[in-house]
Amino acid sequence: MNYQLNIKDQQTRRESPLIALRRLVPLIQGEQRNIAIAVVAILLTSSSTLVAPVIIAHTVDTYISHGDYAGVLMWTGILLCVFLVGLGSSYIQTRTMGGVGRRILFNMRNAIFTKLQDLPVAFFNQNKSGDLISRINNDTDKLNQFFAQALMQFVSNGFLILGAGILLLVLNIRLGAAALLPAVVVLVITQLISPWVKRASFKSLQTLGGLSGEIQESLTNFKVIVAFNRLDYFRNKFNQANTANFTASVRAGIASNVFLPIYGLAYNFGQMIVLAYGILMISSGQLTTGLLIGFLLYVNNFYNPLRQLATVWSSLQLALAAFDRISEVLALETDMKIVPAKPTGSTAVLEFKDVSFSYPDGKQVLSHVEFALERGKTYALVGPTGGGKTTTASLMARLYDPTSGTVLLDGTDIRSYAPEARAQKIGFILQEPFLFTGTVRDNILYGNSAYRDLTDAQLEALLAEANLAGLLTRFDRGLETPVTSSGDSISLGQKQLIAFIRAVLRNPDLLILDEATANIDTVTEQLLEDILTKLPATTTKVIIAHRLNTIDNADEIFFVNAGTIIRAGSMEHAVDMLLHGKMQS
Amino acid sequence: MTTKAPGTKTAAKPSLTALLRPYRVWIGMLVALTVLANGLNLLVPQILARAIDTYAAGDFHLPSVILQFFFAAAGIFVLTYLQSIVQTFTSERVARDLRTRLVAKISVQDYAYIQRITPAKLLTNLTSDVDAIKTFVSQAIASIVSSFFLIIGASVLLLLIDWQLALAVLIVVPIIAVTFFLVLTRVRKLFRKSQEALDWLNKVINESIIGSSLIRLLNSQASEYEKFVAANTQAKNLGLQIIKLFSALIPVIVFATNLATLIILAFGGHLVISGTVSLGDFTAFNSYLAILIFPILIIGFMSNVIAQATASYGRLLVVLEAPEAKDTGTLEAELRGDIDVRDVSVVYGDKPALKDVSFSAKAGTRTAIIGPTAAGKTQLLYAMTGLLEPASGSVEYDGKAINAYRKAALHRQIGFVFQDSSLFNLTLRENIAFSNTVGDAEIEKAIDTAELREFVESLPQKLDTIVSERGTSLSGGQKQRIMLARALALNPKILLLDDFTARVDGNTERKILANVANNYPGITLVSVTQKIAPVETYDQIVLLMEGQVLDIGTHEELMHNSPEYVQIYRSQQSTENYELSA
Repeated sequence: MNYQLNIKDQQTRRESPLIALRRLVPLIQGEQRNIAIAVVAILLTSSSTLVAPVIIAHTVDTYISHGDYAGVLMWTGILLCVFLVGLGSSYIQTRTMGGVGRRILFNMRNAIFTKLQDLPVAFFNQNKSGDLISRINNDTDKLNQFFAQALMQFVSNGFLILGAGILLLVLNIRLGAAALLPAVVVLVITQLISPWVKRASFKSLQTLGGLSGEIQESLTNFKVIVAFNRLDYFRNKFNQANTANFTASVRAGIASNVFLPIYGLAYNFGQMIVLAYGILMISSGQLTTGLLIGFLLYVNNFYNPLRQLATVWSSLQLALAAFDRISEVLALETDMKIVPAKPTGSTAVLEFKDVSFSYPDGKQVLSHVEFALERGKTYALVGPTGGGKTTTASLMARLYDPTSGTVLLDGTDIRSYAPEARAQKIGFILQEPFLFTGTVRDNILYGNSAYRDLTDAQLEALLAEANLAGLLTRFDRGLETPVTSSGDSISLGQKQLIAFIRAVLRNPDLLILDEATANIDTVTEQLLEDILTKLPATTTKVIIAHRLNTIDNADEIFFVNAGTIIRAGSMEHAVDMLLHGKMQS
Repeated sequence: MTTKAPGTKTAAKPSLTALLRPYRVWIGMLVALTVLANGLNLLVPQILARAIDTYAAGDFHLPSVILQFFFAAAGIFVLTYLQSIVQTFTSERVARDLRTRLVAKISVQDYAYIQRITPAKLLTNLTSDVDAIKTFVSQAIASIVSSFFLIIGASVLLLLIDWQLALAVLIVVPIIAVTFFLVLTRVRKLFRKSQEALDWLNKVINESIIGSSLIRLLNSQASEYEKFVAANTQAKNLGLQIIKLFSALIPVIVFATNLATLIILAFGGHLVISGTVSLGDFTAFNSYLAILIFPILIIGFMSNVIAQATASYGRLLVVLEAPEAKDTGTLEAELRGDIDVRDVSVVYGDKPALKDVSFSAKAGTRTAIIGPTAAGKTQLLYAMTGLLEPASGSVEYDGKAINAYRKAALHRQIGFVFQDSSLFNLTLRENIAFSNTVGDAEIEKAIDTAELREFVESLPQKLDTIVSERGTSLSGGQKQRIMLARALALNPKILLLDDFTARVDGNTERKILANVANNYPGITLVSVTQKIAPVETYDQIVLLMEGQVLDIGTHEELMHNSPEYVQIYRSQQSTENYELSA
């Protein structure tokens, strides 16, 4: 059950840059055609750039110097055509690759989000939301930038380098090999320092995630910070994260900028070697001055695109580091799998069989608990705070799986149910109600596909039928009252009312109320009790509450404390245990 | 609460130069290094040319050429790396300082402001928007500045050689400028929208994380995915629109500069043929044109970065230039604890939450506020702590208006226990001693008072246990008592409780209230609550309904006068029996 992402100083993978590049290949699934188009376009663009000077030289030499203006105009026309081809192809190339980048960004974001939805609640307890947001929004964008801007540079420069390199070797194998020597050295150096650059980039992205986590946490809890006059705390915490990000980013910047000067150095050494070696060869009569000058130009053509690759290379390292952070999330697997169904013949709606549960930190909450709930009855769970009531309820709804033992829903292991079947059977009103930004209507119908398309009138009729209509009067604009997930335009009590309506409207077989009415006034609470008693006779209710009146008419009371669940015969007995249990623990 | 619409004051045209002024020394260094490195780069062909010339002339000396070469290469290496270091350092500093300024600004704003702007947007501001400006500094500035130098230099040279031809060539410059202008004005709007799409994504992701339990209970992952895809699609479409513009911009600019080449070839060729221009000048013209074209292209490629940075800076300016919450109070006095709430009205949007609420509490007394759900109880407490600004009326402490006090001084003396728990991903100790003035003795006293001792002792690392964000590993009652301990650790004169015992059993609640009375004598207590039994002995009970005070009095008086109070009392009778017998 360990889903922690930033567990220690995570390392990015150590691997050869080219193998790393291969890992990005699956991302371009379905984009092969576009990439092929872009490659053709960029080759056209490069060719048009290469051809233009040749045409100009030809025009000057052949026509201008001979005063043939008609020829000048004709070749100007041809040049115009070449430029137009360049215009078209570079448009297509930028547009296509930009599109590829955006779609990869879109797909990666969807993939991470889908993965987050697959992971159990425990994952969210262990990770900061700001960091997750940073992974979905910032890290993916680094991949986008690589594909949109850098990948085609790779192709076009690689193409130019290859061409110039072959030409160098063909012109003169010995001089060519000498000219390429610095490039080979640089290649080795690149292999050696790439992991360092990637690590530095990874660290920088990690601290950005940390910064984001800090901001998210502080802004969410801003009222506490204001009321306790701890704006200095906010600033300090933020400054720490900000400084950490600054340091890591400067390091990453210094690391990734190392390529450009090194490649530049290689360029100059290449020229120097060709010059020195070339002159030596001329002295021994193996080379002419004209050929040397030409050779020096080709060295230019080889090393200039190589220098361009330097920037592309650091952008690749950043993309790979980002991809590692994304892969960390994508690699997580939920350990709450669906198991094959094996009916046990138990007739209880819900049964705990030898259930133990402990949190990942090792804290044991329940040990070898056994009990069964019968259909249509009302059960109350009482016990001191921290005794395990909410955990018990969470196990009933499979928010967690027991560490050992089985929870049976309708006689079958709860783990064998498809999520939709389970959600249909169980209604759970959480201790801390959560609303999505929207209206009361949106929130009442949230996750309720059956009623989603009802008109307001139909919904109101339905609410009236379920005796819920009266509760809507607590909202000044009824169903259309706007709500936000944060913010205080709506009270905690009102949030609990919405959660109540939402759960009851789904008409579940098993309805769990975890302190569901704690912040609702007692008069309204009586209303809720009435509604609960009018639920179908087959509905089983489990009520957790501190206010004893809410558990007044329970058929049976369970006392939950220190890892055990004991059947309390009567209300008095339960209250008695509550007092004594408190003293023992 | 008066709702000032955000951003009504249209942000002044965002000027990145103003932002960068404090860094002019660094940026000057950056530009100087860039120019130097480029200049030294131009030296290499010279060395080559001279070497070949001297070789041809016969007085070639290899070691000296290699030495020259070596120094040039080393110089370029050092200058380029130095330039990239300065560039990294400058851009990261700009980003860091900008974030610090934003946070400094945010931290003097009131709570209502944060709610209005929304944390989702502020998160984008502090990450993605700042990042756009950082990229601008690191990638664009040096190249743009040196490009401008080159453009001006090359233009002057062209004009000197032949002004007619030069003017014909420079015609393309306005074409390029107009294209830039058209695209950038349109794209800036798109960039702003695309940052807003990020805000939206932030919100959807964050809600799906906070609401993760609910989503799993209702198996509503699909509908969360729909929401996410809607936001993500919006982001994608905006991104594609931006790409559409830029993939037109860059080729058009390249084409325009190519047109200049065509003009030279056709018009220049004509001038050469007609003998007005020499072939040598014509060739020179061509090479200077090459110098002119390159920087224009650079600016073309950088326009993306410029546009994004300008759009982001526009968004940041809205935050940076927002009027600050005023803290005009100067009083630092130690409170006695008298509270006077006079005719306080609070409006949420267009709906009144509190209407002319008045009550007084003398120092050392205990006041309960009781009323149905959505009566405005929490808002009243918010108004009493300055978290909400009343639309009219005032809150006074010791006879002086709340605004007369320095906020810090007031918050130090008023402990507020919120209804919903807000815990930080810190140790338990830090969560409780959430103030720099709190010592160990105060923490211990607060822990004992909040009946947390047993719980703390049960933890393997005691007070140094780390609480997870959203406090998910703690039970509701534990969280609420931690919140209480946090308020008590301030050693407050006034304690405001917002329904804090809702998740604590009656027995513990009684013990806690007794502890408060014993350990914090003389404290003025105002407690919002649902339960009458624990507050029957309070000095007064304020009955609040639909934002209005219905009645004030002791328990006995209200039982006598107020049918609504009696109704609430009756609704709790069944409980009473058990709790009393317990």
